[in-house]
Amino acid sequence: MRLGLTPAFLVKIVSSVVLIPARSVHKSELVKMKLLTHNMLTSKSMKGVTVGYPLGINVVDIKVTEVDFNPEFISRIIPKLDWSVLWKAADTIGQLDDLPKELSQEYENDNDFLKKVHHVLLEVDIVNGELVCPETGRKFPINNGIPNMLLNEDEV
Amino acid sequence: MAESCVLGCESEELKFQMEPSGNSLKKLERKMRKCHAVVEKETGIPCSTSNPTKNVVVCNSGLSNGLTEEVVMESFMSFGTLDRIIMLPGKSCCFVVFKNLANAKDAFEHINGKLKIAQDNKPILLGYSETLPAVRPIDFRVKPPGLKVVPDFISEAEEELLLSLVNFDEDEGGDGVMKHRQVKHFGFEFRYDINNVDKDAPLEVGVPAECDFLWDRLKSRGLDFRPDQLTVNHYKPGQGIPPHVDTHSAFDEPLLSVSLSSDIVMDFRHRNGKHLPVFVPRRSLTIMNGESRYDWTHGITPRKLDVVPSEKGITANERGVRVSFTFRRIRQGECECIYKSLCDSHRRKAEDISNEIAAKLESTHVHQVYEDIADHFNETRHKPWPNVLDFVLSMKPGSIVVDIGCGNGKYMGINKNVFDMGCDRSFNLLDLCVESGYNVFNCNCLSVPLRDGIADGVICIAVIHHLANEERRKQSISEMIRVLRVGGRALIYVWAKDQNYYRKSSYLKQNRKNRKDETDITEQDEIKFSFDRVTLPIHTNRKQFLHQDLFVPWKLLNEGTISDEFLRYYHVFEENELDYLVRTFDDVEVIESYYEQGNWCIVFEKVK
Ligand SMILES: [Zn+2]
Repeated sequence: MRLGLTPAFLVKIVSSVVLIPARSVHKSELVKMKLLTHNMLTSKSMKGVTVGYPLGINVVDIKVTEVDFNPEFISRIIPKLDWSVLWKAADTIGQLDDLPKELSQEYENDNDFLKKVHHVLLEVDIVNGELVCPETGRKFPINNGIPNMLLNEDEV
Repeated sequence: MAESCVLGCESEELKFQMEPSGNSLKKLERKMRKCHAVVEKETGIPCSTSNPTKNVVVCNSGLSNGLTEEVVMESFMSFGTLDRIIMLPGKSCCFVVFKNLANAKDAFEHINGKLKIAQDNKPILLGYSETLPAVRPIDFRVKPPGLKVVPDFISEAEEELLLSLVNFDEDEGGDGVMKHRQVKHFGFEFRYDINNVDKDAPLEVGVPAECDFLWDRLKSRGLDFRPDQLTVNHYKPGQGIPPHVDTHSAFDEPLLSVSLSSDIVMDFRHRNGKHLPVFVPRRSLTIMNGESRYDWTHGITPRKLDVVPSEKGITANERGVRVSFTFRRIRQGECECIYKSLCDSHRRKAEDISNEIAAKLESTHVHQVYEDIADHFNETRHKPWPNVLDFVLSMKPGSIVVDIGCGNGKYMGINKNVFDMGCDRSFNLLDLCVESGYNVFNCNCLSVPLRDGIADGVICIAVIHHLANEERRKQSISEMIRVLRVGGRALIYVWAKDQNYYRKSSYLKQNRKNRKDETDITEQDEIKFSFDRVTLPIHTNRKQFLHQDLFVPWKLLNEGTISDEFLRYYHVFEENELDYLVRTFDDVEVIESYYEQGNWCIVFEKVK
């Protein structure tokens, strides 16, 4: 929203000017749409959608980046996950490795297992693709690692 | 209980069923088993007859059948001291908790299947339960904010004096049983037909001079108050007054009330569902200020007994004739309070911005502006607020934290031991987050695309002051609550209308040039801007806010000249307004609310 400037503004403006900076940062490669985020997202606020979960995934490209492994963090996150949704999502994007379908009881001390979870949760990023509402088929594009979950006025 | 049979029953015999015979005993047991199953279905609490406990369940009667706490109290108290009575709204059962087991068993044996206080004069059926419904015991020390009850404010002689000022006709109503309380007005008449006073028509008789000792006493305690209106109410036992709020536009705050002749329990109710019974003793002074005056209703339940706190637990207090003197000051002009839901002045004011226009206004004057200024915004924002950093850092390892309206991600990546997700309406601001490596997605704060109850923490900093009506501001808060888990906490910051609350905020401080003349802008000088039938003032930067809804300019300077200007829509918050919005929801509790450099801030926890 731009306004034409009036002389009255010019007078009052001086104390609150903002300098236009040169855009210094270039888009880096740090794109992120993680399966951990996917595990939390839903389309349930759409009109007519009751659960809206889990969202389907169509991948155009993914990226694998190494992230520091923090076993304590991973074992605390696990109870907050919908495990079967994570497993399916990892399967969909071909990153399942040999992640077990059922969550074992004593995962806290199973370092190998935690490492696998760490990998699918945090090291795999969907760069471009789309998420799909399971009930309406509405597609939510992922561009540059950012899912666009915005709904139109008539969808809420 | 025979000595004070206030229920109007003629004799003990009529009230009790005859001792059951062998055959009907079996029938009774069958009925009881059925009732126990109903209780378990309604409350989740199993009950039985075989394992006596201190908790006696009335299985076939409760609030939904018209059974009152008063009747329960009266029926059970003669068997021993009661710890508490739990009446459940909308349920056909209730719980009576004795202090000791022997009394509970005694009551059970004497009453079960015999005492006819269930619906249609049927006998009540009892059970014992191991556990109780999760409702908090009534704590008479908890009062609505702003309410004070000063015990022994006047002496017995002064009580006599006040009572002598008004003569109520004891015979009114013929048989001596009047349906309604009697009322007398001084100074101005409160007209129940228009729910207001006629401010232009004072009564001939003002507030009696005999009351003056009260104002001197108040002054000596630091309250300067002189009323111009007095209402005297005369209640007989069994009479009450329905829940109401004293009309905002009729009377200023505080409201004062002196209770004479008898104790009473007043019921205060809040729109979020809270109900606080307040014990008001004889010869006490009740002072209602702020929230208790504007945002809670008060009333007196018509009954002859009140359940009141006692040293051991609870006890019944028989009501006598009670006279109350309510002193008030007539308000000049309209009410300006922030407690809008019970405010008649607010209802008369211009309608809120409609949802349709609000959405357009936000789209043009919030969303589009942030897209346009994203890069500059990134360069010029203030340092992070220390209390927001503390909040984020207080999150335990492995927590999930959601930043609603994360902007350029200033509060993300701070706590390395949590998983933080940010969301914002602006694509350009989110691009900046991605450059920093944060997890973000696009959405509107009115519908957050996250599952219920997944977040341990939510922050929402400088976001909801961009929503253009109250319904939308509430909606955004309800989304924060929805995504929080029970026990999770949220922190909200919004711009304050008062930028000068404690001392100069940094926002005003930057106005070096105009520092001397803070108030030199009057409403006449203002420049206004219209957007789709909504005309709002344009704010002069670094000045105090004169309005709640306005445009705040964002100006760009390029090589020494102004190259562009953008108008952002803001709703700046009054004191307590953010609390007011959060308290609308009954599943949260406010942990703290404070002012920080031009912002109103609140921390709340989801409790159920
Ligand atoms: Zn008001």
